[in-house]
Amino acid sequence: MKKDSKAIQIWGLIILLVLFFLPLVARPYIVNLLTEMIIFSLYAVSYNLLLGFGGLLSFGHGMFLGLGAFTAGAMLQRIPGLPFFGAVFLGTLVATLIGLGVGCLLLRHKGTYYALLTLAFNALFYAVAIKWHAVTGGDDGLPVKRPNLHLGFVQLPMSDVTVFYYVTLVVIGCAVLFCWYFTKTAMGKTVLLVRENEERMQFIGYNPAASRMILFTLTAFFAGLAGSFYALFFKFVGVDAIGIDMTTTALLMTFIGGTKNFFGPVLGAGFYIYFQNFLSNLTDRWPLFMGILFVLMVLFAPQGLSGLIRSLVDLFRKRENGKATPKEVHPSGE
Amino acid sequence: MNVTTIFILHGLVYAGLLFLVSSGLTLVFGMMNVLNFAHASFYMLAAYFSYSLLRWTGNFWLCLLVCPFLLFVIGALIERFLLRRVHVFGHLHELLLTFGIAFIISEVVKWVWGTAPLPIEIGGFLDGNVTLRGVIYPTYRFFVLFCSILIGLLMSFLLLKTRMGITVRSAVDDSEMVNALGVNTPRVFMFVFALGAALSGLAGVISGPLLSINTGMATAILVDAFVVIVIGGFGSLIGAVVASLMIGQLQSFGALLFPKISLALIYLLMAIVLIAKPSGLFGEKK
Repeated sequence: MKKDSKAIQIWGLIILLVLFFLPLVARPYIVNLLTEMIIFSLYAVSYNLLLGFGGLLSFGHGMFLGLGAFTAGAMLQRIPGLPFFGAVFLGTLVATLIGLGVGCLLLRHKGTYYALLTLAFNALFYAVAIKWHAVTGGDDGLPVKRPNLHLGFVQLPMSDVTVFYYVTLVVIGCAVLFCWYFTKTAMGKTVLLVRENEERMQFIGYNPAASRMILFTLTAFFAGLAGSFYALFFKFVGVDAIGIDMTTTALLMTFIGGTKNFFGPVLGAGFYIYFQNFLSNLTDRWPLFMGILFVLMVLFAPQGLSGLIRSLVDLFRKRENGKATPKEVHPSGE
Repeated sequence: MNVTTIFILHGLVYAGLLFLVSSGLTLVFGMMNVLNFAHASFYMLAAYFSYSLLRWTGNFWLCLLVCPFLLFVIGALIERFLLRRVHVFGHLHELLLTFGIAFIISEVVKWVWGTAPLPIEIGGFLDGNVTLRGVIYPTYRFFVLFCSILIGLLMSFLLLKTRMGITVRSAVDDSEMVNALGVNTPRVFMFVFALGAALSGLAGVISGPLLSINTGMATAILVDAFVVIVIGGFGSLIGAVVASLMIGQLQSFGALLFPKISLALIYLLMAIVLIAKPSGLFGEKK
């Protein structure tokens, strides 16, 4: 295990360095793509906190991204001179508060009821977004202007692709790392154990409903944050942002990346965005290929890309070590 | 008075469609514990099939026979070759698989038939109006109502009076025990899954002339059907009937009385039912 964590540290450092220096050499198109990947990474990671760590299948995660996006967009339109992080703050706040409210209603449920209820709530917010034309722009969507970032002595021009990329990298990157930290805390472990054996946790004296609710609110917070950046990145929020398809996106990204590994969804989000861009240049029917890929993965690689990499690494080690360390050949769990 | 009657009829017609879709969904869920996201895609697929078949042959009655049969075959194949393979990975994977299938079907439909709504003309005697005690109402809507009642009666006869029905009902209750008693439950699963797909397909065919055929029709009825089976209770056919009637009337009168929030009303009803009785009106607490 120690060998693993060291490898992860090294790889993490390499990836961070690449992310940091790449915009200096890459084209704006690539930088934009990377920004989108980073934003959706947080969205997928927050979804996986629910699905992978909490064992809660949600079909309503898109509503938090949408709420964050619509709030940030609408507030920028209505409050003149609202600073960059003011919009981000308001978007995240509204998503979190609604997450808290919805979480209170959902905390007693789990399994299929839970999945269906989240679906119903998402459908409800989608209906509101379409009907509430004055605020959301209805079917036409909402144009968003991206304000510049004032940092006391210096003003950063956010219309610049690279500057926006770095701001996104720092803020969203910190959020993703915080999610990772959360899984290591006592609270994160509680969530994991509630998934494994709820009855036993209850006997020991924990409150599974409360930890489910905390988890739900937390994921709403991070999805709202991702949503605010989504609005600022695309400079436009359509009803797609809050639709069922947005939840589908989270599910696809998370599942393609793998739910067992924390960084699986990051991989999945990156792969999804890249694959989508790659395919949409070739054909308009890219969702079809995405769907086929998804079904194939459910059938043949149920642990996702990170699971595939994991078994490849294991295979490689097995060959490298030969019979010297038979203990490492059979990883426990799964 | 006339308006009320018409809206009650509207509600009943929609309830009929909803029942055809949700009855298969609730039985499959009761037996296999799989929430079938592809169920409403069968509905949409059949509607598009009927559009093409109608343009080709011009005979609506033929569509009514052929399309559900096609969906029966498709449903059986999906169960046999896809769903059964991922059964060992657990319910989540089965659910995700149906989800992926729904995704693929909706994309295939967009590819083959385009995204524009398609009109469907059936002609014949179904195209007229009926005057019933001073209320003029389209014959076709009565036909939809008649079809769903007929199927409902047929299904209750099958489930309550035949040996196959007894097997299915006991598999809904406890499929492991039924399997242990020597019934080939995988085959029963396949049959019920396919039958559910066929019923959903039938609903799709008859909904074509009623509502328009479009690429969003699956999602629209899927959410409603989910609400129906949550309110009625998973695995309960009588629950599906009652909940369909409730949702049908609520949809119809909601649109009449509170057009602004009509969409929210059914979720409100669902929330109330879940708070009062989390297992649904006719569901058993597991």
